[in-house]
Amino acid sequence: MAGDAADGRRYVSGLLDAAAIAAGDALDAEVVVVGSGAGGAVTAALLAEAGFDVLIVEEGPWVEQESVRPFSLEQMDWQYRAGGVTVALGLPSIAYTEGRCAGGGTEVNSGLYFRPPVDLIDRWTTDYQIKDLDPDEIAGIADEVEQALDVGKVPGRKTPGSEILRRGAAALGWRHSEIPRWMTYPPGGDAVTGKRQSMTRTYLPRAFAAGARMVVDCRVDKLTVGKGVATGLSVRYSDGTRSEIRCRHAIVCGGAIQTPALLQRSGVRGRIGRSLAVHPTVKLSGRFAGEVNVPDDVPVHQVKEFAPDLSFGGSASHPGLVALALSDHWAEFSRAITEWRRICIYYAAITSEGRGVVQAVPGLRDPLVTYRLTHRDRETLRSGLARLALLMLEAGADEVYPSFRGAPVVRNRRDLATMQQSFAASKASVMTVHLCSTVPMGEALDRCGADSFGRVHGTSNVWVNDASLLPSAPGVNPQATVMAFAIRNVRRFIETNGRGDA
Amino acid sequence: MPERWSTPETTVVTGAAGWLGQALMHRLRADPARARLRVLVHDASETAVFDNAENVNVIVGDIADRAVVDALFDGVGADADVIHTAGVIHPKRVSDFFDVNTTGTKHIVSAARAAGVRRLVHVSSNSPFGTNASATDVFRNDEPYNPYYGYGQSKMEAEQAVFAAVAGEDGGAALDAVVVRPPWFYGPFQPPRQTTFFRMVRKGKFPVIAGGHQRRSMVYVDNLVDGLLLAELTPRARGNGYWIADARPYQVTEIVETVGRALRDEGFSVKVGALRLPAIAGRVAEVGDKLIQRTGRYQQQLHVLGEMDKTIACDISAARRDLRYEPQVELYEGMRRSIRWCVEQGLEL
Repeated sequence: MAGDAADGRRYVSGLLDAAAIAAGDALDAEVVVVGSGAGGAVTAALLAEAGFDVLIVEEGPWVEQESVRPFSLEQMDWQYRAGGVTVALGLPSIAYTEGRCAGGGTEVNSGLYFRPPVDLIDRWTTDYQIKDLDPDEIAGIADEVEQALDVGKVPGRKTPGSEILRRGAAALGWRHSEIPRWMTYPPGGDAVTGKRQSMTRTYLPRAFAAGARMVVDCRVDKLTVGKGVATGLSVRYSDGTRSEIRCRHAIVCGGAIQTPALLQRSGVRGRIGRSLAVHPTVKLSGRFAGEVNVPDDVPVHQVKEFAPDLSFGGSASHPGLVALALSDHWAEFSRAITEWRRICIYYAAITSEGRGVVQAVPGLRDPLVTYRLTHRDRETLRSGLARLALLMLEAGADEVYPSFRGAPVVRNRRDLATMQQSFAASKASVMTVHLCSTVPMGEALDRCGADSFGRVHGTSNVWVNDASLLPSAPGVNPQATVMAFAIRNVRRFIETNGRGDA
Repeated sequence: MPERWSTPETTVVTGAAGWLGQALMHRLRADPARARLRVLVHDASETAVFDNAENVNVIVGDIADRAVVDALFDGVGADADVIHTAGVIHPKRVSDFFDVNTTGTKHIVSAARAAGVRRLVHVSSNSPFGTNASATDVFRNDEPYNPYYGYGQSKMEAEQAVFAAVAGEDGGAALDAVVVRPPWFYGPFQPPRQTTFFRMVRKGKFPVIAGGHQRRSMVYVDNLVDGLLLAELTPRARGNGYWIADARPYQVTEIVETVGRALRDEGFSVKVGALRLPAIAGRVAEVGDKLIQRTGRYQQQLHVLGEMDKTIACDISAARRDLRYEPQVELYEGMRRSIRWCVEQGLEL
């Protein structure tokens, strides 16, 4: 059912052939879903299964999982926006990455699954006045998602990089656990044999089976919105041709950067793009006695002793990424690169008090993104990186290379003091992969861009159903929360708007 | 390994005339099993506090002077424990930190090894670990060093000298030692500067920075003495460091409110309120403290104010688990006892 990515075909559809929809008008749909990641794919699948006429518009290509090496630089080039090089400006600037392909971030992320935290749901309900947000309903939806994605633990051996985290945390008495993933494993398989149950394998095929259509390599320039009513979309294909698509409902699921940028380009006003929330992350590399690097996988253990303020986990550690991680103090660290097989990269992620802004700029393809870390955020990054380095020493690291400019090599506890005293967040390579909260949901109009079910305030038929709706960064890998909220909202949409007349 | 050792023939105490040292000595002298106490004080004038007791041998001198330390350990052998409380926290010059806290500790470590004592208990501080990154963070038992200026650096180096001796890293015989880390303490035997603290609260002038949501771990001095003695007598504690504090950290606003209540309940008039300062005041004071310490000098008010906007909170669960330490006194009761002690000493609050 999927088109062949290699020949550049831009239509992927179970229903219509390319010729029939090439005219553009034929793409008109009752509901257009913009984006096909964790939010868009479930939205499309449930709507199609409820009988709605659904078209999915995806800016990126369709890439079969087997055709690209997981966690590689090649993958960043194919499946990430701008090759994985996107930056939120600030002091320090924060590099972020977004999936830009069919399935969005679910195709490229670590696949680690956390249920939406119940206390967080309660806090969101109060602070943002979200109506009818029932933790039990969310838990029920989480059950369904876990089945649909085969969420489970690694059946066999964990990677050495994962074992390092477990061992270090255990030595310090810090709370840690193996995080389940949406992966399936062959009989007798272990960590590196898992198949990711991403959207191209799960909800998108379900959407197609129920009659949804999808177009890829197709960017939405703007929605046509007048007096709060959307009537269609202006789109542009990767070859530069443009066309218009008419719809009765537009559901925007482009992720927390692209969703507000599209709404702003479309002239939608309100609390859109003003409250970007991320998990700022700093990294280090640990060098061990044996060969610990497994390039094609990431560790499944996380350390949650300091959660939600601070979490530790493992990063992709391809040789190219190891070189990148060592580049912050290349003069001192570069000698380690020849031993990349003995090196793994780890991160310390914080929940941030700061917020960022996404602002579409006329004439520019991508929005301007800024983010401001608070004093507490910077301090938490410092102590987080130091605690992570301590864990590395306890796990038996020979040397630790923290990723900030001028960082010392850490070999013992005394070096940890030197490291903390020379750290400044402004010298660090701060990055994030979790972007949320640019169109917060709820009835508190001073802070919410969409209502309690994702309809953009001030519009009658423009909806958001992705990570943008989460009122704050959840402190855990957010994909499961994004999916659960998307399913809740789309069910309400189906109840309200009846079955499709297709 | 027994759960607990019995008390040794000889107990060596440094800093015996200090705040913590006097509280410790009070307890040790009340225990008939403590046959012999050899103690170090800095000034001859301080010997009076031991009432010329028969079982207390007082050595007078500077701990930074090796000959003084050798005299302290004269005749001390294997049936002895050392509780090293000597230290300077508010000196005239930054170099005093290193002479007393670091060099002094190295002398004690060296002499204790030479004497072959059973155990050394070293009193450290929160300062080698700096301050918490946020008001919600709590230091776990094992944390990376991040020394807070001169005092923190000197106490970190002292800790490292102790741990190096435990590991035998420096080539000498392995020493049995335990490090105890108390945060801000309070209670009887307090020095005169602490009465300033009560007076500021009475006058509604205690500095509360940025709303006072910061949290501070504190330890009532008798709780700390409990912890020191458990660290001394618990064999399995060897080589470890422990936070010894009250059961939980207190918010700064709670500290001010509780001390005010304790003062009122002891019959003092208390003006409601506090000196509320913006967050910037703490930062400015910290920068001032840093700049002055760079010149080798030390200014107590700036140092204390610079620390007041920080959270310094620690978790005592490791001490509870390994030492069976259980704090007996909480802030309100501890402050009342502290106030009563001041009144008994005729100190003006």
